[in-house]
Amino acid sequence: MRVTRREFGSTVLAGVGGTAALAYSRPAAAQSHAAANRSLINGVQFGLQPFCYHDLPMIRENRGELIRRLVRNGMGMVELHATWVEPRFIGPGVTADAAREQLRGWRVKPPTGYYQGIRKELDAAGISVYTYYVNFDDSYTDAEFDAVFEGAKVLGARGCVGSFGLAVSSRLVPFPGRHAMFAGLHNHDNLSDPDAYASEASMVKGLSLSPDFRMMLDVRHFTAADGDCVGFLERHHDRMAGMHVGDRRKHNGRSTPFGEGDAPIIELLRMVRDNRWPIVALLEFEHGTLRPEVEEVDLMFDYCKRAVA
Amino acid sequence: MGRLLTLGCLAVFAASLAAQTGVTRRSYDTEFLGPPLADPVLQHAKETFVLFGCAYCHGLNLVSRGEATDLMHSALVGRDENGSRIGPLLRAGIPQTAKLSPMPQFSDLSDQQIAALVTWIHYARRQGRYQELTATPVRPGNAAAGKTLFDRDCGSCHALDRDLAGIGRKYEPAALRAALLDPKALKVERSFTVDRQKDPKLATAQQRHHALLENVSAEDVAHLVTYMASSSVAHR
Repeated sequence: MRVTRREFGSTVLAGVGGTAALAYSRPAAAQSHAAANRSLINGVQFGLQPFCYHDLPMIRENRGELIRRLVRNGMGMVELHATWVEPRFIGPGVTADAAREQLRGWRVKPPTGYYQGIRKELDAAGISVYTYYVNFDDSYTDAEFDAVFEGAKVLGARGCVGSFGLAVSSRLVPFPGRHAMFAGLHNHDNLSDPDAYASEASMVKGLSLSPDFRMMLDVRHFTAADGDCVGFLERHHDRMAGMHVGDRRKHNGRSTPFGEGDAPIIELLRMVRDNRWPIVALLEFEHGTLRPEVEEVDLMFDYCKRAVA
Repeated sequence: MGRLLTLGCLAVFAASLAAQTGVTRRSYDTEFLGPPLADPVLQHAKETFVLFGCAYCHGLNLVSRGEATDLMHSALVGRDENGSRIGPLLRAGIPQTAKLSPMPQFSDLSDQQIAALVTWIHYARRQGRYQELTATPVRPGNAAAGKTLFDRDCGSCHALDRDLAGIGRKYEPAALRAALLDPKALKVERSFTVDRQKDPKLATAQQRHHALLENVSAEDVAHLVTYMASSSVAHR
């Protein structure tokens, strides 16, 4: 699935699956329109990967607090991890295998209206889900892959993103297209694993598996893997859905506050702005801070806003 | 009236001075980090652990997230002495791994920063392991096994017929376990006076008890407590 500049407008402004016309005809979608605009800065659509709220366990019971924080941080778009949505079945006396089986059953047959209810919560707060983050692995059945895409679509997501490798990607090929969505490949920096997305060559190989695959380039990890982020954008921008924007040092170096590492954040954001590429910038960081995380997100977001001012 | 005016002028002057010098109150996430510790060295170590992102994966109190190594129970951390093993690992990272994300390298940190990280890891490990080892009621162990452990780990400083004579009568088993793992005599406020800051006797005692707490198993604690509790030998 290719997303054109025009489609990007409907994607990021309406924040819903389906056509822009359909989206705008619905009040909820109109609200999502305003939502995404909240963090649309000089033509660059920003959002947040809520891993940044390090102190907030990623469980569905904390979703209300997550939404409050996103609004407080001026974010209209989010990459929502499935754990903010799905129930947990692990507990005393429940084995990991039993919990996994129960989760699978829940995914394939979720309660009626479950995802719609969460969509309403997000719409009411003016938050649109750009991508749904799920760590797909070999334990997924085909029916489960399909059900996850279906649920994500109801949430308004344009694609499902996860930290899976080439082998799992091969199994994913049939599913995103069925839902008019994309599967987002997310790289880390493990250059020692031939199955992992870490080098440019591995990502190109993954993208070649399906036209419905798109890159969610993690700028931090690619920098740590000594990758050329600017060159990657130049060469593959038409296959990119977004970037995880953060900073790290080269040679498997540590995470740093924005501007203190080796990631060319300003250059990348300016490239997106000046070329009008439909690439969403999702802030994500792992550096530490003594401040409340909401304040840290503000600071990092301010850095990005200055970059595209 | 004149006094009020003077106070007002002083307040304006103070505000103006703060603005000129850029002095602002930085916020501190007490909810996540907890209240500042009484020991400033430990507080600095804790902040260093947070600022360099270690807490993000390994957990502020060593309850790790995701695939990060469990530092509370890591054998390497248990064998570390003042950074002898942790320091080189931090500097090099672990680039070759089956995990999703390799452990980053921290080669750009100063020796002092590495030392602070090591300090926090050991302190947090001791706090966590003490909680773990004392969370359940004392269970009966094997006195003979306890004697072997005592002779090996405690015997160079203690004896049940000398300084610990009658200890089995003095303490209930739960209190004996607590005293064994975290002796009150070693919980002294650190002094920086020249004559006390390098007290070799205190330092050695702390180092040995810390190593015991960081590595001993619940089973061995039960053996030791059973052996010590069985002793009713009076002081000679």
